[in-house]
Amino acid sequence: MISMAIQSTVRLAAVVAAVALGAAAACGGGGGGDEQQAGAKGGTLTLLQTDDFEHLDPARNYVTNSGDFGQRLLTRALTQYKAAPGEAGQDLMPDLAVDTGQANEDKTVWTFKLREGLKYEDGSPITAQDVKYGVERAFSADLPEGPPWPRQLIEGGDDYKGPYEDKGGLDSIETPDDRTIVFNLKRPVPYFNYTVTFPVFGPVPEDKDNGVKYDNRPFSSGPYKIEKYDRGKELVLVRNEHWDPKTDPVRKARPDRIVVKMGIDPTTIDQRLIADQGEDQTAINIEDVEPSSIARIVNDPKVKERFIQGGSPCTRWIGLNMSHKPLDNLKVRQAINYAVSQESYITSRGGPVLADPTSTIMPPSLPGYQKFNLYPNNNFKGDPEKAKQMLADAGYPDGLELTLTSTTESGAYGPDQAEAIQQALAKAGIKVKINAVSASVYYTEIGNIKRQDDLVFYGWCAEWPSAETMIPPTFDGAFIKPQGNNNTSQYDDPEANKRVAEILELMISDPQAADRAWGQLDRQIMQDAPIVPLSYDLRSQLIGSKVTGAFGAQMFGGHVDLATVGVEQ
Amino acid sequence: MIRYIVRRLIAVAGILLVICGITFVIFYVLPADPATLACGRACTPERIAEIQHQLGLDRPIYQQFFDYVVGIFAGRTFGTGEAAVQCPFPCLGFSYQNNLPVWSLLMDRLPVSASIAIGAAALWLLVGLGAGVISALRKGSLWDRGAMVVALSGVSLPVYFTALVLLYVFYIRLELIPYPEFVNPFTDPAGWISAMILPWITLAFLFSAMYARLTRAGMLDTMAENYVRTARAKGLPERTVVVKHGMRAALTPVITIFGIDLGQLLGGALITETVFGMPGVGQLAYQAIGTIDQPVIMGVTLFAAFFIVFANLIVDILYAVLDPRVRYT
Repeated sequence: MISMAIQSTVRLAAVVAAVALGAAAACGGGGGGDEQQAGAKGGTLTLLQTDDFEHLDPARNYVTNSGDFGQRLLTRALTQYKAAPGEAGQDLMPDLAVDTGQANEDKTVWTFKLREGLKYEDGSPITAQDVKYGVERAFSADLPEGPPWPRQLIEGGDDYKGPYEDKGGLDSIETPDDRTIVFNLKRPVPYFNYTVTFPVFGPVPEDKDNGVKYDNRPFSSGPYKIEKYDRGKELVLVRNEHWDPKTDPVRKARPDRIVVKMGIDPTTIDQRLIADQGEDQTAINIEDVEPSSIARIVNDPKVKERFIQGGSPCTRWIGLNMSHKPLDNLKVRQAINYAVSQESYITSRGGPVLADPTSTIMPPSLPGYQKFNLYPNNNFKGDPEKAKQMLADAGYPDGLELTLTSTTESGAYGPDQAEAIQQALAKAGIKVKINAVSASVYYTEIGNIKRQDDLVFYGWCAEWPSAETMIPPTFDGAFIKPQGNNNTSQYDDPEANKRVAEILELMISDPQAADRAWGQLDRQIMQDAPIVPLSYDLRSQLIGSKVTGAFGAQMFGGHVDLATVGVEQ
Repeated sequence: MIRYIVRRLIAVAGILLVICGITFVIFYVLPADPATLACGRACTPERIAEIQHQLGLDRPIYQQFFDYVVGIFAGRTFGTGEAAVQCPFPCLGFSYQNNLPVWSLLMDRLPVSASIAIGAAALWLLVGLGAGVISALRKGSLWDRGAMVVALSGVSLPVYFTALVLLYVFYIRLELIPYPEFVNPFTDPAGWISAMILPWITLAFLFSAMYARLTRAGMLDTMAENYVRTARAKGLPERTVVVKHGMRAALTPVITIFGIDLGQLLGGALITETVFGMPGVGQLAYQAIGTIDQPVIMGVTLFAAFFIVFANLIVDILYAVLDPRVRYT
């Protein structure tokens, strides 16, 4: 489960990664989730974090760390990703459902049959009607933070206002019996069984629903239930005795108790985990380690053993605003591609431990990925001479001036990163004026097509292992909108738009061919150079010496997979 | 006296209303729209409009402000139908991030901030006033110079630096204390002191330094006054001269500053609480800023403003007790 966009430059709700991370993802800690290494059940696992979870209400739970915690421990969905390191973590598994769903021929109707013996934390049965109610809640404007898929994909989703306003429910979700749920979709969706991995496709009993307050005490269908939740301070999970492991092929539920301690300064978290004392030996830093801590971690072999890296299906880039002159000129955009130094950008973020350079839109973990670099720039160091020549060819022999939006706070799009880009482009005669805005309004600013600067930092994650959720929203001209725009290049090429439609059609009849076609389209788009690809990030976390079975989960943005993690006692 | 207090209380209410209005306008003109933020980036304008309506953000600003002020005194209901949530008196807004009324969040965090503020204040008054008085009485001595060098260091070092150094030395290197975690002082007083000692020292190091310098300067001025010379000439014991005649007058400006400082800290020691992971009002503000939880930011602003304004009122009342020259008019 990945939040569609790379949500926050500061808190890094979802980050970028490389497919090669498969190997890296397994390093450290208990490594690889091996049953024997992961150890026996019991003990208390502590999670140290700065911020509270965004939301644990399944209708509002969308970003990776909340998804990891919510889905792996508290609330189940119809299907789920396998708990395995590397690309195997993208494999689809049945969760509440007996299989990964049955579709009709044109993939517009999907049917899921629930397992027998599924129970909530009070022992009451989980029914298909509860899953339907859970999905319907996501349509309410009172619970707006969740994924857009129910509204975008389910028939009648445009008009339905949710169960608080419309008691009649959504007719396009049928429950012919207590164990069967049928979704009638607006259009063919070959990957809908991946869509239902999101927590919103999980059960909520209507009599337990208390609106926005449900977020503070979601009723458990998973292996743990909430014992105590002081928002922003502490969350304690204890075992849900009614959860039957025989009904759950994904979750190992090893610790007896899980304590989340919040509000801790990120540097302090790093210090504590490096020191590895007392209860911190069974603790995990659920967020990234600070770049300033990297040297201390990688230079101390004992600490490095406890360093976990995980990848995710995401890419970061610089969007070149093609609605502005001279960025409407292909040669100028190509020149910028040659001039930018991905290496400098990555160095500004803490070095190669935290990210890999890239030259494509699709991250390597996505099916159909093609490795290519249309603008080779001295192995990602930048090629200012080539860029100057291209600019001269384009009619700008004396260089040009551009604006770049960054955040005022440190992070992936912070002042240091903006300066790295500024310095690289200066070598090619491109003068960059940095327009720094608060991270809190960053996406609002760059999503406004009238206010958007020439260059903007951006990033995107695939929602499930298909470029279907990556290329169309960010490169299809139909997705350009005045506000909240995600096509940051304002790229509107008729050929590319047509190809997107064709591949979406192809996905119904031949998904493998469609995957390959996405890879080809990636190359086709990059020939127009609407963006400068920058990096695939590696999520970097530290665990205590008594934490076992830890690895970065691909589909949870590289966060330590909480489905398998355990502690030595 | 009572008329004076009533008049001042009315002024306090007026100041808070102005602060409330200014803060409200600031949030209104900010480009960060809570509805857009909640909806995420894969959102349609129609959906944003729905959420704005649900949050009441589509109403004119004066109406929103009026509802806010009325809610403080009469409580409010947010949302409609089955999803409606109650925000009882005194309603400072409802946090959709935490799904709780802002007031209950503040009350939940206040004991932590109060623990930090009161403990640190006791420490810095003890050290700061003591060092300042002794320095003044032994002006030019080794003690005076040493104390002022330490004071200068205390003023110069940022709180976050002192806090991290203390954590590193006492928790990580020496392992003398557990990682600071707030515990209830009534159920575990020893644990409370153990948890609070580093935040107290961090703040006291900064404030003691300022208070020592302030007290020293005040004492030097006062001890040079004619009435002090007269007191000595009358044959009063030096202790009486220093405490009754010297300190009493020298402390008047110190008390003024103390009122503001304590009020500020009760409204949250943002950096100290954040570095030590103490779930106080300051940390709540920090978290709210990170998530653009506007009702909470508004609430904390008003809450902190209340403490500062109220502490000033108390200080003004105390003036007359300390300095007989001051009379209520």
